[in-house]
Amino acid sequence: MDKLERLLNLTAALRNAAQPLSAGELRARMAGAYSEDLAAFRRMFERDKADLRAIGVPVEVSTLYRLDPPVEGYRIPAGAYAGRDVRFDPDELAALHLATNLVRLEGGSGAGLARLGGAASAGAASEVEEVGELPFHDSLAKLVAAAIGRRAVSFPYRDTGRHVEPWRLSFHRGHWYLVGWDVGHSTERTYRVDRIGGPVDELGPAGHPVGEGSDPGTVKPWEFGEGDPIEVRVLVDADQASWACHRAGVDGEPREDGSIVLTLQVREPAALRSFVLEFLEHAEVLDPDWLRADVAAWLEALV
Amino acid sequence: MARLLGVVPWVVEQDGAHLDDIAARFDYPREQLLEDLEQRLFFVGVHPFTPDTLVEVRIEDGIVDIQYADWFSQPMRLSPDEATRLLAAGRSVLDMTGESGRTATGDEDGAAPLVRALAKLTLSLGSERADGADYVEVCLGHAPSHTLTGLRGAISAGRQIEIEYYSQGRDVMTTRTVDPARLLSHDGVWYLFGWCHRAGAERVFRVDRIRTLAVLDSDTQVDLPAGPPPVLKVDTVDRTVTIRLAPEAAWAADYHGARERTDHPDGSVDAVFAVASESWLARVLVQLGPQAELLDGDPGIDPNLRAATAGRMLARYRQ
Repeated sequence: MDKLERLLNLTAALRNAAQPLSAGELRARMAGAYSEDLAAFRRMFERDKADLRAIGVPVEVSTLYRLDPPVEGYRIPAGAYAGRDVRFDPDELAALHLATNLVRLEGGSGAGLARLGGAASAGAASEVEEVGELPFHDSLAKLVAAAIGRRAVSFPYRDTGRHVEPWRLSFHRGHWYLVGWDVGHSTERTYRVDRIGGPVDELGPAGHPVGEGSDPGTVKPWEFGEGDPIEVRVLVDADQASWACHRAGVDGEPREDGSIVLTLQVREPAALRSFVLEFLEHAEVLDPDWLRADVAAWLEALV
Repeated sequence: MARLLGVVPWVVEQDGAHLDDIAARFDYPREQLLEDLEQRLFFVGVHPFTPDTLVEVRIEDGIVDIQYADWFSQPMRLSPDEATRLLAAGRSVLDMTGESGRTATGDEDGAAPLVRALAKLTLSLGSERADGADYVEVCLGHAPSHTLTGLRGAISAGRQIEIEYYSQGRDVMTTRTVDPARLLSHDGVWYLFGWCHRAGAERVFRVDRIRTLAVLDSDTQVDLPAGPPPVLKVDTVDRTVTIRLAPEAAWAADYHGARERTDHPDGSVDAVFAVASESWLARVLVQLGPQAELLDGDPGIDPNLRAATAGRMLARYRQ
């Protein structure tokens, strides 16, 4: 029997079962689909189960105490197979299809769209030129599912275990960030997903209310920290002005010669110093005086 | 198999569908589809495989009709992996088109198809809220939206552009005429790929370093090949330096993409970096200051680079 046919029959048998069936019972019900040789059958059956799971068919395992000795029993529970009854309109499927052609995620089979009912304009969308590829991590999907399902998770991060309620996954400057509630530290935290050092395990339901969290893309390094911010003015030469404004996320006040004065709210002076130094001799701290002196002293020590 | 499991519920729901439509919709080669339906699905059923327990597949005049496929007639649940990929791709496009996707009121009727689709995706995954966009956010790059809009307009109209461009590596501002070909996002940064008439060659520009953009009346002259995006070569530099990073600055090894690193027991790190330009190296050394020490560099790299740069910068503070 052809493999596709056998997998379809196995799925039908597992879905049709009122109660979990043992491997032997499944073989008996699948009329000649599997080898008579027991070892060959077991190997084939294990592979088929793995193949079904790989495409998302939820094969559930339990122990059959009705048999002596008890053995593993398998079935696909009715509720686990089908998704919620959500219908996608043709224009919605077309939009998703276009999106998957514009932006690819590392790996991936594209089977998700087929599952939702294909895409009406598949031909047209495939002519679109890709604009970029995003990295994908195994833990990403688990974290998204936990955020959507309001579940807490645990994972190792920088050599310690974390207990986190995920809120949101954000992609910025080449990295995925997890924003959520750190249960152990009772505070909002942001984690780099690629630095999660091991498997993400799902714990119980999340208890802390979902907050906004910080946006990893808009918080500037000098805005992190405690206490009231101080106001710092930075002068940037004309050639670097637009780039500087963009980097700092402020408009700035242009001078006659085209240079620009940025007014920034700073909680972390060392981070601001680093930002200003990045412009080499094209920028300087104007005030406060003590911070201007601090940058000058930093440079003095390097001469 | 995943594809076939997508086809069956759709055909059942449509009450029959044309072979060509199925093939196009599911990107399913027609011959393969016909074979899978007639030779495989047709023989699927459950014990005792009497006619009433078998899937019935009929194909007449190209119209496929599927009956009694109860086990396959509901669409399968999306796996978290697939859902995440779709959500992330969808959010990326919202980021490109500048739509927020946030629908605080839950009223999606007037929203764009993609916004509606993402909300439904989240719902289908068991969300209690209908605000599909909030779980996944993507920023493809930080660049002024008027620049991106201008570049897209120029690309689709086939117009040349003139840009004032700041090359950070060489620390100079230049004005160039460019035939813009494509916008690409790489590592969360927008790049413009095009033909630079000043260089007489293909060039990749960081969009956030374009200071001014003017769309010209002239048409582009050079057609760059379509197809897969050009690889953004960020690591083609042969010159390297070794920098000893104090423990507090060890992060810089990863941050600046060290090619090699050696960790010492005291927490300090010797990192080997590719040097794209002297001004890049100067910037890193000045920023890290006393926490970084230039150990070894290729000939041609000025061992006094840090002191010379700091001296130039200090001039501004001595006035």
